[in-house]
Amino acid sequence: MAVAELAERPFPPGDYPVVVVGSGPGGLQTSYFLKRLGIEHAVISADPAPGGMFRRFPFFQRLLSWTKPYAPVAREDRWYQWYDWNSLLADEPEARAIMPTLMDGTSSFPSRPEMEANLAAFVERAGLTVRYDCRWESTRRDDERFVLATSDGEYRCQTAIFAVGVAEPYLPDTPGFDLVSHYVETRPAETYAGKRLFIVGKENSGFELATGLLQWAQRIVLASPRPAKLSVNTHSLLGVRARYVLPFEDQNLGGGVFILNASIERIERAAGGGFRIHCIRSENGAELSVEADEVIAATGFKCPLLDLPDLGVAVFGRSGLPAMTNYYESATVPGIYFAGTIGQGVSGMKKYGLPANSGAVHGARYNARTMVYHVARTHFGIELPRPEVKPDALVDLLLSEATRAPELWNQKSYLARAFSLDAGAGIRDEGVVPLAQFVDEEGPAGVAIAVETDDLGDIHPAVYVRETGRPAVETLLASNPLHDFRSVENRAQLSSLLAGATAGVVR
Amino acid sequence: MAMTQQELVDMLSSLTLFADLTRPQLEQVAHKMTEESFPVGQRILRQGFTGTGFYVILDGEVAVRIDGRDVARLAKGDFFGEMSILLGEPPVADIVTTRQLNVLHLGGPELEGFLRDHPTVMFRMLKALAMRLRNASR
Amino acid sequence: MALTTQDKAAALAGVPLFAGISAESMERLAAVAGEQEFAPGQFIVRQGQVGTGLYVILSGSVKVLRGSDVVARLSKGEFFGELSVIDQQPRNASVEAAESATVLALASWDLLALLESDPKLSLNMIKGLVMRVRQAGEKLGH
Repeated sequence: MAVAELAERPFPPGDYPVVVVGSGPGGLQTSYFLKRLGIEHAVISADPAPGGMFRRFPFFQRLLSWTKPYAPVAREDRWYQWYDWNSLLADEPEARAIMPTLMDGTSSFPSRPEMEANLAAFVERAGLTVRYDCRWESTRRDDERFVLATSDGEYRCQTAIFAVGVAEPYLPDTPGFDLVSHYVETRPAETYAGKRLFIVGKENSGFELATGLLQWAQRIVLASPRPAKLSVNTHSLLGVRARYVLPFEDQNLGGGVFILNASIERIERAAGGGFRIHCIRSENGAELSVEADEVIAATGFKCPLLDLPDLGVAVFGRSGLPAMTNYYESATVPGIYFAGTIGQGVSGMKKYGLPANSGAVHGARYNARTMVYHVARTHFGIELPRPEVKPDALVDLLLSEATRAPELWNQKSYLARAFSLDAGAGIRDEGVVPLAQFVDEEGPAGVAIAVETDDLGDIHPAVYVRETGRPAVETLLASNPLHDFRSVENRAQLSSLLAGATAGVVR
Repeated sequence: MAMTQQELVDMLSSLTLFADLTRPQLEQVAHKMTEESFPVGQRILRQGFTGTGFYVILDGEVAVRIDGRDVARLAKGDFFGEMSILLGEPPVADIVTTRQLNVLHLGGPELEGFLRDHPTVMFRMLKALAMRLRNASR
Repeated sequence: MALTTQDKAAALAGVPLFAGISAESMERLAAVAGEQEFAPGQFIVRQGQVGTGLYVILSGSVKVLRGSDVVARLSKGEFFGELSVIDQQPRNASVEAAESATVLALASWDLLALLESDPKLSLNMIKGLVMRVRQAGEKLGH
C-alpha cells in the first residue's frame, strides 16, 4: 500500500461485510467482539472522537452508574464486572476494567470526563479503529447490499449495525416549543447566573439541570403533568435518582425553587425578552402563567434512525425505537442490527414490570456480545466453542453462575446461563443467552439459569428446563441473605429437576 | 416516525378500555404504562411462569394458545394478563404474537392501584370479563 | 324472621365480594338489600330472564343450571347474578334452591351506582369474575 494511502483515515468508503455506525459504548463494544471473531468490518462515526453521549452528557454531576474502586473481588476477575458498570468488556487484561483506573477515589460514580476517557482508553488498548467525522446521511438497498451514504461517500455492506444512541431531542408539538432550547443545548452553568429558569420535565434530565443550576439561577420552576417518580420511593433505580433531588429541599425552604404538576398549554415570547409559559395545573385544572428568562425542555429523546423506516424498519413508541428480535435484529428488515442503548427496545420478560439494564452500559455491553455472536453464527458461519460439561458438575456450575455471574446480575430475568442436554453430544455450555429466546424457542433439550427479583424485592435464581420440542418450564429456587445460592436445598432441588433431563445424556 | 405524545393519546382514546377517560386522564395512563414492541412468534404471557404483566394492544395481533392449540385471537384494543395478576397465579395459557405487536405494559404489582385510580377503566374491564364469562359458559 | 339493616350489614361483611369496602358503601348496601327465602326446588332466577340484580347467599345452598345440567353449586357467602348487572344481558343460567336458602337481593341500579363509587367493590367483583372465567373456560382463561 502506498504511503499516501496509509496516511488516510481508516475505513474509506467501499464494500465491507459489516458496517458499524457509532463510536459510543455500543459501537465500540460491538467492534471489539467483531474484531475478536475476526469479522472484517468498518466503524464510522459522525463524532470527531470516541465516547458517544458521554462526550456531552451529563452536563452536571457524575454518572448514575457505579464503579467501585474497592470491591470484594479483584479487578482482573470476570466477577468484578458486577461492581463496575462503566467499563467495556474485553478478554485482554490491559483493556479490562479501565474505569476504576481513571477515577480519583473520591466517588464510586465517574464524572463525565472520566467516562469519556475510559472509552477513549478502551479504543486504544483494545486496538480498535474508527473513521471519525464521517456522518451517516441516508440508506438504501441495492441488490443484496445495504448502501449507507455518508459525508465521505458510500459504504456497502450485507450487515449494518446501528449504535446511534437515543439522544436526538424530543420536543412536544405544543405551541412555542420551537422557541426554546432542549436539554442537549444546555450551556455552561455560569451563563445562567441570575436568570429565572423554567425547566419542562421532571425526570432525571430535568432534575439534573435543576440541581446543577441551583446556585446560579435566580429562580427555577420545574413543571410536568405528573408528580416526579423518585428512586427512593420506588426502591429501585427507576425514577429520579437521590443525587438529583436537592431542588425539593430548596422548594421546602422557600428558596426560589417551584416544582409544579402542570401541563404546558403554550409558550410565547414575553415583551422585553424572556418567555411567558401558560400552564394548566394538574391538581385542579386552574390556569397558571409563569415568566422566565430561559426555558429548557428536558422532555426526552428520540432515536435518530434517519431514513431507516423508509427502508421498512418498523419503529414504535414516542422514542421511535426500532422493533427488534431478541438478538437486536430489526424485526422487519433482516440484516439490520442495533447496539448500545437502542437495545432497551427489547423488553425481555420484564417480570413484575422490572426492566432490564439494556439502556445502560452495563447491560448493553452484554447485549452487544449476544448480538455479535448471533451475527457471527447466522451470517458468517462462525460457531463459538461449546465446551463439554460433566453431568456431575452441572448443578454446581449452574448455582455458581447464579451466585456470581455479572451478566445474570446486571441483566436480571433477561440473560441466562444455558447448557444444552443432547443425548448424543453430551452436556454443552451454550454461554450467556437471552432468556426470552431460550424459553420460547423450540430447540434441543437444555437448561438455563437466571437471577430474578420478585415484587417483594426477593432476589433468587430461576431455572428453566426445556425438553426437546417443548417450551421451557420455570422453577424458582430459594434466595439467600448473602446472595449465595449454592445451598444444600438448592442443590437438592436442582439435582432432582435435572435428573430426568440429564439421565439420557451421560456418554 | 416516532409517535408523538398527542398521537399516542389520540390512539388511547379510541380504545374501548379507555373510552370513558378525559384527555388529562389519558395522559396519565400514557405516563404510567410503558410502550413495548414484540416481533412475530414471541411469547408475551407464558403458561406456568411467574411475574406476569398487564398489556393493552395498540397494534398487531396475538393468539391465545393452550397446550399448543390456538383458542382465540386478540387485537388492537384488547387486553391480557390481568387474570393472572388478579388471581395471583401463573397464566394457564400462552399469549403468542402472530403479527408484529405494539403494546402498553403495566407491571403486575401496579395493576390494582391503577384500576383504583381509574374506576371507569375497571368498569370497562368488568364488562369485558363478563363477556368472556358468557362466552366461556356457552 | 326479618333482618334489620344491621343484621344485613353483618351478613354482607362476611361475604368475600364485599370485603374491604367503605363503611358508607356497606351502609347503603344493607339499607337497600332485600331479604328473600326460597324452599328447596324453588327457582331464584331463570335462564333467559331479564336480570334485575345480584344475589348473595346468606344460608343454604343453590344449584346453577344451564338447561337441565347442573354446572355449579353455591352456598353461604357466595354470589350469583352479577353478569346481568354488569352487561344487562338476559340471565345465562337458572338458579334453583338445593335446600332451604335465604338470600339478599341487590338491585342492579343500586349495585351499579356503588360499583362506580367504590373501587374496592369493583376490584372484588373483577377478582370474583376472573376466578369464574378461569374455572368455567380453561380454554379462554389466562
